[in-house]
Amino acid sequence: MTEKPLVEIRDLKRTFDVSKPWLNRVIEGAPKQFLKAVDGITFDIRRGETFALVGESGSGKSTVARMVVGLLPASGGEVIIDGVPIADTSRAAEVRRLRRRIQMIFQDPYASLNPRWRVERIIAEPIRALRLAESEREVADRVGELLSLVGLHPADGRKYPHEFSGGQRQRIAIARALASKAEFIVCDEPTSALDVSVQAQILNLMRDLQDRFGLTYLFISHNLAVVRHMASRIGVMYLGRIVEIADGKTLFARPRHPYTRMLLNAVPDIAMTGRMREAVKGEIPNPINPPSGCTFHPRCPFVFDRCRREAPPLEEGVACHAVREGRPVAA
Amino acid sequence: MTEPVLSVRDLRVEFATRRGILKAIDGISFDIAEGEVLGVVGESGAGKSVTGSAVIGLIEPPGRIAGGEIRLAGERIDNLSPQAMRHIRGKRIGMIFQDPLTSLNPLYRVGDQLTETIRTHLDLSPRQARERAIELLAEVGIPAPEKRIDGYPHEFSGGMRQRVVIALALCAEPDLVIADEPTTALDVSVQAQIIALIKRLCAERGTAVMLVTHDMGVIAETADRVAVMYAGRIAEIGPVADVVKHPLHPYARGLMGAIPSLETDADRLVQIPGAMPRLSAIPPGCAFNPRCDRTFARCRLDRPEPIVPAAPADAGHRVACHLYDSAEAEALP
Repeated sequence: MTEKPLVEIRDLKRTFDVSKPWLNRVIEGAPKQFLKAVDGITFDIRRGETFALVGESGSGKSTVARMVVGLLPASGGEVIIDGVPIADTSRAAEVRRLRRRIQMIFQDPYASLNPRWRVERIIAEPIRALRLAESEREVADRVGELLSLVGLHPADGRKYPHEFSGGQRQRIAIARALASKAEFIVCDEPTSALDVSVQAQILNLMRDLQDRFGLTYLFISHNLAVVRHMASRIGVMYLGRIVEIADGKTLFARPRHPYTRMLLNAVPDIAMTGRMREAVKGEIPNPINPPSGCTFHPRCPFVFDRCRREAPPLEEGVACHAVREGRPVAA
Repeated sequence: MTEPVLSVRDLRVEFATRRGILKAIDGISFDIAEGEVLGVVGESGAGKSVTGSAVIGLIEPPGRIAGGEIRLAGERIDNLSPQAMRHIRGKRIGMIFQDPLTSLNPLYRVGDQLTETIRTHLDLSPRQARERAIELLAEVGIPAPEKRIDGYPHEFSGGMRQRVVIALALCAEPDLVIADEPTTALDVSVQAQIIALIKRLCAERGTAVMLVTHDMGVIAETADRVAVMYAGRIAEIGPVADVVKHPLHPYARGLMGAIPSLETDADRLVQIPGAMPRLSAIPPGCAFNPRCDRTFARCRLDRPEPIVPAAPADAGHRVACHLYDSAEAEALP
């Protein structure tokens, strides 16, 4: 690889303290309890690509997203963006300049926009805060430009968020993300709250903007079809770990990890090819008390002794003992 | 010919608001036969859930059924008293809602909720009802049902709770089950399990199912027939293979193209411009005409009624679009 990746995630970890209150612990003699939401993940995002994280609820995808943008401090490991570790306090000035280039789009377009602010003020906020415009007139021009960029009318800036539909609000959120001339946008389930036809509009818009401005996306979703459509590379998460990482095409054509296979199998078949869906056994376990060894072993059809003892490391894009040892994992 | 389990004719549901009357459902008709799964799809606000609520008699004021007929096994149920409706609801029509946590009472054990429902509808002793409840839990795939029956809803995971809700819906052996977005709150791997379960149980019992969802994948896999709703009307209804693979109505076409797929590569998704109109501002003529790329003069004047399409004339396929009116088809290139 010639170019250095824009984002490097190194052994990123996050634990949450989910202990009972102090008094209960003293009375009941209960120990402190920790939830490992993200348990040491490593990946790179290249400039201009869309890297997706998929997984079921509770797999830690959103926690990763929040750590990458710096909304949540990491318990361990590093997030390095353009060579600067964002948690490095000795390089505060650099980190601050970096912040401008990172933006986030949230899942719920009803909760992520301030209902008391006019849309123009919402979009202008990053421009004003980062002093990206010389005059108020320039701010207004830029807001109008951003609104037309995302397919709204410049006059819509006078309205309040409640006057817009879900899809239009998501467009406003995108305009706000672009207002600071961001290069790297973390999108946490950006279309999950939208209807399919509106989802298509937003996904198309996101791709157009990527082509136009060379944006880099970290795309978080539970919807495999959406991820396949958007991402160049995909990481599959299960209980706080990445179990498989591959190119979009490869992952869907030749999934390797048994969990990835299971997920792909579970997607309803809209093309009606007559492919039989395999009924998956079990559900994602409680992350407070995860299974020993490979956390997927209680649901895995190819489990053997070693899986129960040792957690498999992510090597050559897959974390699975069976794949490593070349044992058959195809049903 | 046997009578359909559910027969809806020209149903209209209106909501009186300060700004006038909103027509949430504007004249829809469909049948569901015994053992059949009818999928109802559409985007938010299309009227899918209101249709379901109308059938089970749960339209709350200011909403009201303003016209049409709903028949359950030939008997009219839309004009029954609330008391009479209560006997039908749960006994003859079962319901499965989207959020399994809110459809179970958090303060009662799962077993109490099941036995209460069973004893309301069936003449059984408490012991018999409990046995029946355990059987049902086993049937919906809850491991160790004789222990779990004494658990509270919060002790169950999302998928397990939805199984309990399914057991509740089926406990009185209803003729019809209305499932409103039963898998939307669940993860894909669990979703597949729940869909398979609903399908198997209803097939075994010959229960008719009305499956309301916005997920085309679920419909494609589960339903026998599908109705595509748009702005309170049925745009297209027909066998699921025809509607999903060869949709006719321009809206249905756009909707299918908008779904990213696992099988085919597309650089861009098909995009329907604009958004569904608000109920207060449904355009005259065909409600879809401002977003449609094939509109012509008549679309703006005349509201299309569901017709048997001229070209691929399949049994039971209906489309509400002027393009498929044979008289128009001749006039168009």
